[in-house]
Amino acid sequence: MRERRLGEMSPLAKVLVYSVLIGWSLVVLFPLYWVLITSFKLPGQVGDGPDYLPFLDFMPSLHAWRYIFVDLGADTFRPYWNSVVIASVSTVLAMLVGSCAAYALARLHFRPRLISIGLFLLALALVVTAMATTAVPWQLAVTAGLAIFALAVRALRRAPSPRLGNGDILFWIISQRILPPVVAALPIYIMFQQLGLLDTRTAIILTYTTVNMPIVVWLMYDFFVSIPVDIEESATLDGASKLRIFLEMVLPLAKPGLAATSLLVLILSWNEYLLALFLSTADAQTIPLLVAAQNATRGPQWWYMSVLIVIMILPVVALTLLLQKFIAKGLLLGAVKG
Amino acid sequence: MASERLDDWLDRNAGRLFILPAVLLILAFSLFPLIISGWLALSRFRITREGFELRFAGLANFDKLLDGSQQFHFLGTFTRIGLTGSVLLIGTAALLAWGVLVYARSGRVSALGIAGRLIAFPLFGALALMFATTVGEGGQLGSLSTTLFYVVVGVSLQFAIGTALAFTCAQRIRGRAFFRVVFFVPLMVTPVGIAYTFRMLADMSVGPFAPLWQGLGLGEFSWAADAWTARLVVVAGDSWQWIPFIFIVMLAAFESQPTDELEAAELDGAGAWRIFRDITWPSVAPVAATVVLIRIIEAFKIVDLPNVLTNGGPGIATESLTLHAFIEWRALNLGGSAAVAYLLLFVSTIACVSFFQFVVRPMREARS
Amino acid sequence: MARTLGTLAAATALALLTAGAASAQDKPYEGVTLNVMTFTGPQIAEPLQRRGAEFSEATGAQVNVVTVPFSDLYQKVLTDWITGTDSVDAAIIAPQWAVDYVTPGLLENLSARVEADTELQADDIAPFFRDFSQKVDGETYLITVDGDFHMVYYRTDTAEELGLEPPRTWEDYLAFAAAADGQDLNGDGEPDYGSCIAKKRNAQSYWMITSIAASFLQSQGTSQGAFFSTEDMAPLTDNPGFAEALRIYKETGDYAPADEINLDVGDTRSLFTSGRCALTLDWGDIGTLAIDPQNSQVVDKVGAVILPGSTEVLDRDSGEMVACDADTCPHAIDGVNHAPFAAFGGWSGAVNSAADPDVKDAAYDLFSYMSQPAQSNADVTVGATGFNPYRTSQFESMEAWTSAGMSEQAADAYLGAIQDSLNSPNMVLDLRIPQNQRYQQIVLDTTIARFLADELDVDGAMEAITEGWNEVTEEVGEDEQLEAYRSTIGAN
Repeated sequence: MRERRLGEMSPLAKVLVYSVLIGWSLVVLFPLYWVLITSFKLPGQVGDGPDYLPFLDFMPSLHAWRYIFVDLGADTFRPYWNSVVIASVSTVLAMLVGSCAAYALARLHFRPRLISIGLFLLALALVVTAMATTAVPWQLAVTAGLAIFALAVRALRRAPSPRLGNGDILFWIISQRILPPVVAALPIYIMFQQLGLLDTRTAIILTYTTVNMPIVVWLMYDFFVSIPVDIEESATLDGASKLRIFLEMVLPLAKPGLAATSLLVLILSWNEYLLALFLSTADAQTIPLLVAAQNATRGPQWWYMSVLIVIMILPVVALTLLLQKFIAKGLLLGAVKG
Repeated sequence: MASERLDDWLDRNAGRLFILPAVLLILAFSLFPLIISGWLALSRFRITREGFELRFAGLANFDKLLDGSQQFHFLGTFTRIGLTGSVLLIGTAALLAWGVLVYARSGRVSALGIAGRLIAFPLFGALALMFATTVGEGGQLGSLSTTLFYVVVGVSLQFAIGTALAFTCAQRIRGRAFFRVVFFVPLMVTPVGIAYTFRMLADMSVGPFAPLWQGLGLGEFSWAADAWTARLVVVAGDSWQWIPFIFIVMLAAFESQPTDELEAAELDGAGAWRIFRDITWPSVAPVAATVVLIRIIEAFKIVDLPNVLTNGGPGIATESLTLHAFIEWRALNLGGSAAVAYLLLFVSTIACVSFFQFVVRPMREARS
Repeated sequence: MARTLGTLAAATALALLTAGAASAQDKPYEGVTLNVMTFTGPQIAEPLQRRGAEFSEATGAQVNVVTVPFSDLYQKVLTDWITGTDSVDAAIIAPQWAVDYVTPGLLENLSARVEADTELQADDIAPFFRDFSQKVDGETYLITVDGDFHMVYYRTDTAEELGLEPPRTWEDYLAFAAAADGQDLNGDGEPDYGSCIAKKRNAQSYWMITSIAASFLQSQGTSQGAFFSTEDMAPLTDNPGFAEALRIYKETGDYAPADEINLDVGDTRSLFTSGRCALTLDWGDIGTLAIDPQNSQVVDKVGAVILPGSTEVLDRDSGEMVACDADTCPHAIDGVNHAPFAAFGGWSGAVNSAADPDVKDAAYDLFSYMSQPAQSNADVTVGATGFNPYRTSQFESMEAWTSAGMSEQAADAYLGAIQDSLNSPNMVLDLRIPQNQRYQQIVLDTTIARFLADELDVDGAMEAITEGWNEVTEEVGEDEQLEAYRSTIGAN
């Protein structure tokens, strides 16, 4: 057999490889192409049968675009703007909260006592039972519960108890991702209703931050762990505070990781449907809701839906193109390696 | 000075302060709602003259799902175990037995380990049994089985194709950056949008493949009217969206194999298979395990695709657990909805934690 | 379509001018913001937006139309009002749901306002809607803007070609469908379908089965009811009549597109108006959609009839089927018992009782405005609005219809069918007892879907529905449900 350099393929292999890759590209792009041309079709054209090529099979029309942007103007812009604000703010918050937590777990040693956790759960159960069975207003119940918890912990601070470690806390945070949103949706709705925050962007931002933060913690934890401690240790010896070390030394080093994680989180927030459905009515409606709403009772209006899908994808694609080299860097890899 | 003392205090408590926001968010928006939901699952919602009332009903909602009028909806309709069912049962039994043996001989038996396995293994056995007795002729899968189908078959398919694509793309080819971006696009489309897109595409009369179906003589066949094809279409839509994720991660994994080892092996004249087995796989396996875990966690929660593609039909064939809970909630059967959601939480937690313990951990340890 | 909307626009401009001239100075609701919720249109939402804009212009109120998908509407409005969030001031909803909203006192009682409102011309509203649909326990809580009930539409050209009569019984329907199935009905060379009925789950299909079953179950007038026994709340879903209905419903699928089980009303309307079906069972929309020259290929080829009936009915005492005669079927027409089904009841406006007084007044005035003949009579002739006729004046004058593009013959048939249905003393009122959503949208819809998917046979389906309904009745309270059922159909 002819001597070959590492990785150099036979012509047959090359053909195979390229055809697989191009084949899959078609699989990826064809549905999107279909959505794009459907946005230019008239209802009659869609109902008649498949038309594949604009100008050849059918005359493209701007009616759907006009309806979405002009006729519905404000009703399209509002959800779009809501989505932009909600996705970006919740991503920033999730990154902030998650990175801080990840860094703390990577560098410091926590040893919470099992007994404290037990007491907390007990207090929580008491508060919920009180709220459910008596007419105690929630503000009172929660405050009382916190007070009882604080007192109990103080009283039992010398009691012996097994301790949990960083790994357990990390596991707890990450396992939040397993929680199906549908379990928590209605109680969260009631909570926000009590706080008067229903149908506001704030409510959705807070919920998304909580839901996505575990991913940030997971990915950034491994990233931080892989950064050598020496730099930070010498900085500490020089007298820098932990906060400064974090902000000025560690975060810049973690840029690729931050970029790719935030892209992932942004995509998740941008596309989320169920929780937005629960928590919004009119003012805080997001774009995925608008897409789903195009399914009028008398039939899905494919043309309007296609326009909405297209304008939903474009900004995210643009962002990905900007950040694509970070994805390549395998920050996800760093976290995933473990 | 006061500011110095503040700085000191901040520095000493930095750890706690760093982690506090995360913990608070989770307590407020995850744990607290979870407990309230638990209480909802134990009650019955009624509209009354004063507004609404939630009456304590004990385990009635769970009973209805597991053993009562909604059993067909949750667990399925039972029938005799056929060939598929038997294969599945035997396979699961063998796997579980092997798992027990490995553990017993590992020398690291602990109380926690035993307890965990005592919960997980019987559950897997029961799930396999449920699936086997409902998948046969004359039986119907319930929402629990359907969800498991989506998870197991979906994730396997996504992993196989994603890794194959990544492996192909990791070869010396031109335009890798192009492919990487193109392949990433499906992740960016909202699942609801994907569902409608696939509905358009799969339409037998006005979709782009209509001439093909009709040419194949399938013009009169409706994918939405047959339970299994409907489920496969849901899996197809889900895979289209998530294969990119696996692809990206596995590609990065393949790209960061230790090149020095690879070159050394090549120089030594090692064959492709040995290279793969000794160098590639150990480096890639932990990544593969973790990415599969991430997918499993997300797959249990699938709802948008079956909702839009078939509204859970035909019958209840494509209804996932989240969709089941959602439909119950829409009709204001809050207790029933919370009960389904809790059972979903229970099953997915055990499944994910087990996968982590039995697959991900060993792979990570093997590497190091 | 464009021309019709253009005419509408001109008419509304005129209305605006006159309204403006009349109340140029006083803008009674200046500064009032009104949030009205309904489901995503254009049906219902479009006319709401359009009329809302006119109303704003005339009265100074700011009207915000909020839309949500149909399947979420019930729960969104109820949750908003029952939790005291009250971000929705008024809503256009299904009258069926009214009872769930009225019980906890969420709806504003509109009786007094309707009494005092001369412009509404309440007498013109067909008695069925005015006295049954708008009221709960004798008090008015809703303003009708749309009249809903089921009819069968058929292709007049196909009937003529094949020598078929418009179906009078369900056997006729099946025979018609069988004869027309496989023929090319729209001249494109492809075989078409005998019957297209929307059967999709979790959509709007669960009324179809009742349309078929009703004529087997109810023959003594509206107060006999078609869902439960008025004696003991036993579901009327486990008897030879219902079994026959299930068989018929399944058989219509033999002459239908293969994916009928996944077709929603939008899809079947599309199919029918593009000429691919000989028969369909639907609300009044087909009449107006079929005459739209831009989107319809069956202009002037559509006939409408009152829901087909049956020559046998269920004898409730014996549980057996008996032939129709003067005693068993007092309202029979030519020996056939028809039971037109007011499916869904017709979109109606409801007002949140917890809203501010001037907001409530503005909401009432908006709905009244939409329902007044000047606006309503124009809107019901346009298919895109989703509004179907419900006022006597709407089917007495042909002008509005012929000027909208319906031929006299078509208008005659369409309006005639509606009138026959509305005037029938044996009309079936849709289920309006508490938690009717659970009976219909959960139990009935799921079981029918499973039945159509061959997961259940006829007996299994009947058993499942009966058991499911009994369970809900038990949970809510049998006595209460019986009381509520009897009062809604006037059996007390």
